[in-house]
Amino acid sequence: MNWQALALSVKLAFIVSVVLFLIGMPIAYWIAYSRWRWKFLVESVVALPLVLPPTVLGFYLLVAMGPRSPLGRLWLRAFGHSLSFTFEGLVVASLIYSLPFTVQPFAAAFRSVDQQLAQASATLGVSRLMTFARVIVPLSYAGIITGLVLSFAHTLGEFGVVLMVGGNIPGVTRTVSIDIYDQVQSLNYVAANQTALLLLAVSFLTLSVVYAINRKVWAL
Amino acid sequence: MTADVAGDAEVSADEGSLSAHIQKRFPGGFELVAELDALAGITVVFGRSGSGKTTVLNCVAGLLEPDAGRIQVGDRVLFDSERNANVPVARRRVGYVFQNLALFPHLTAEQNITYGLSRLEASARRSLAQAMLEQFRIVNVAGRRPAQLSGGERQRVALARSLVIEPQVLLLDEPLAALDLPTQSQLIADLRSWNREHQIPILYVTHSQREAFALGERVVVLEEGKILAQGPPQEVLRAPRQETVAQLAGVENIFEARVVSLQETLGTMTCRLEYSAVQLEVPLAKVEAGATVRIAIHAGDILMAVERPRGLSARNLLAGRVLSLEQQGIAVHACVDCGITFQVRLTLGARESLHLDVGREVWLVIKTYSCHLLEHEPQ
Amino acid sequence: MKTWLCLLLLLISVLAWCAPGEITVAAASDLTFALTEVAHRFELKTGNRVKLAFGSSGNFCAQIQNGATFDVFFSADVDYPRKLVASGLAVAPTLWVYGTGRIVLWVPADSPLNLGKMGMKALLDPSVQRIAIANPAHAPYGRAAKAALENLKLYDQVRDKLVLGENISQTAQFVASGNAQIGILALSLAVAPPVKDKGTYWEIPTDSYPPIEQAAIIPSAATDKPLARAFLDYVRTPEAQAILRENGFQPPPEAP
Repeated sequence: MNWQALALSVKLAFIVSVVLFLIGMPIAYWIAYSRWRWKFLVESVVALPLVLPPTVLGFYLLVAMGPRSPLGRLWLRAFGHSLSFTFEGLVVASLIYSLPFTVQPFAAAFRSVDQQLAQASATLGVSRLMTFARVIVPLSYAGIITGLVLSFAHTLGEFGVVLMVGGNIPGVTRTVSIDIYDQVQSLNYVAANQTALLLLAVSFLTLSVVYAINRKVWAL
Repeated sequence: MTADVAGDAEVSADEGSLSAHIQKRFPGGFELVAELDALAGITVVFGRSGSGKTTVLNCVAGLLEPDAGRIQVGDRVLFDSERNANVPVARRRVGYVFQNLALFPHLTAEQNITYGLSRLEASARRSLAQAMLEQFRIVNVAGRRPAQLSGGERQRVALARSLVIEPQVLLLDEPLAALDLPTQSQLIADLRSWNREHQIPILYVTHSQREAFALGERVVVLEEGKILAQGPPQEVLRAPRQETVAQLAGVENIFEARVVSLQETLGTMTCRLEYSAVQLEVPLAKVEAGATVRIAIHAGDILMAVERPRGLSARNLLAGRVLSLEQQGIAVHACVDCGITFQVRLTLGARESLHLDVGREVWLVIKTYSCHLLEHEPQ
Repeated sequence: MKTWLCLLLLLISVLAWCAPGEITVAAASDLTFALTEVAHRFELKTGNRVKLAFGSSGNFCAQIQNGATFDVFFSADVDYPRKLVASGLAVAPTLWVYGTGRIVLWVPADSPLNLGKMGMKALLDPSVQRIAIANPAHAPYGRAAKAALENLKLYDQVRDKLVLGENISQTAQFVASGNAQIGILALSLAVAPPVKDKGTYWEIPTDSYPPIEQAAIIPSAATDKPLARAFLDYVRTPEAQAILRENGFQPPPEAP
């Protein structure tokens, strides 16, 4: 039973969810309320990870992180080593991979709040930002929680991207999904099964807890 | 008071007055061209749905930007297309009660009311809110959420919320539509008493004639984006000069007629109602004999008699037969055939004491001044 | 009427008998170039079709264990085929070692490391932050790489720098993209046309790791055993063996 891999996966999923929450809110706000005529381009870019095979995404990330790409060189110069095969590299890859799972529920929740409430808030002298914080966010809790849960669960189960850029280093980039794959490859089905069941249990527990809390929020 | 004037001091106006000149075109062709001035007190904006009433409110509030025009409250210019002035919504100090109230569902009544007071200290917020709750008699529901309030209570919270910020203008969009009569009158009384102290212009949008009469010190009639008439309700609605206004005002009898003769010295003229032999004496107008005119008569202005009356001042006496009688609320609506069908409105008591029945022969009495001549409108 | 029907049926069966056969071959990724060429020649010669699937041997083994119907399985080692025989999923006599693999050090063309001069010492160069090898847990070339490192007493010094590829193709990709500065690849991959000009290789001494015997086998679930056997027979021919050798595979050990 590879507890190290499981802990790594949980840590990755947690960090990614938190960061996605912070960057997802302003992006979702912009998508929900902007009326720029080229907004659809931004929406498509955000949604791209949904339709791209993870291995394709992983491949391009690997190239981007390497010393042959300008981004990779920049990182190399700044930090002395490239982003690939590091935990930070997984975080960056997961941020891109799970972005639509955060942004889309957030934006949908914001859009579903009655526009007139925002208008009423404005006539009462409250700025756009404070209206967002005092009216729109509280009325979007369900969507926000959904976005957080989805990005957590999605990152927890991530495989293709991690496979491409992780390098399978124990304790650093050997996530639980890679570990299960390795066990299967080595024909250790018993070990694979154990880890898989544990992952299933952890995921199910997380989702249940969150949806239970969400229910109370509904009762508002 | 913050002065948000974008540089214009020549056009001064009274404290407590609103001047709105608005032009806005929408894709699809609808165009609003409105110039209205409102003093402190209630100005009713009256019209059908789709006539542009809500657009006027939204422009004054700053939620919509007019294509051209100028909006000024007191000596504060809120919008001026020539000088590129456009004060953002949050700084306009315009109170707005929306048609569906837009109460914040996740906040209590009291929290809704204090929502706009975040700049004040907690104690000041609480005392202002308390004053409002008392004035509008909703103290006992202060801790409840909108979903737990009755229609009338919600209206009062919405009003209190907009008024507590001491706005310079108040906008109300069909605020009483969903309430019953007693609650409506109570709310109007509350609003009036609040305004006695504060004296701000209030724009009250409605399509109900009854509300227009009950409230308005002034009525502005809006139809298809244009102002048809402005003035006291008696003038505008009671004696409408345009057919659309007459229709909006719910005038029941509108007839086409041909001028038979003019009595200049008496100030009257005789007209024959088209497709009949019925003749009416109506006030004199600047037309020639033979001209076509349209005449409007309120159903409530027609008297009915079961015996031929004598010695009356009224110049029009028509014999007819009752075609139908229908009770509508506390009034009776009668259709009487005098060669042309007239709609007549009576009280229940009248029907009782006259023992009115369908088929009964009656006389209709119509004063000359109850006949309103409508302006000729291009069809 | 009946005669027409009979003639039609006869025609169809004759056509079916003459129709080209088709087999599906699963092969380890290091055979990509070698086997593609061999299969192509076989197709030209016999008019039958060979569908090739390249991937990791472990994967294919698992798939066959779960019912996949490959006609021939070319593994990158000898253990996976033996496992299949042991679980009764392959016909024992068909197991045939088709060649031996070699491992090499490989650096991209723009690398400052001179493998010819440094040999294994290149792994210890300070500019090397990451060394890519295939995953020893399930890739035969990875196992060989680890064995070589251990036998040459280098493993402890480099273990923190190791990154594991799922198969040697991914391992090569790690090095080719520059994310790893050096890697241990299969010789067959290093001499393959797309890789040949992109870098330089150095053969790791063969006495430092157990020989990588690579075996092929016909699974019991094969759909066209006669054609499968015919293909294997072709791979035994000198013509095909030459192609294998060109592509980095050493001849199989002498038959006992």
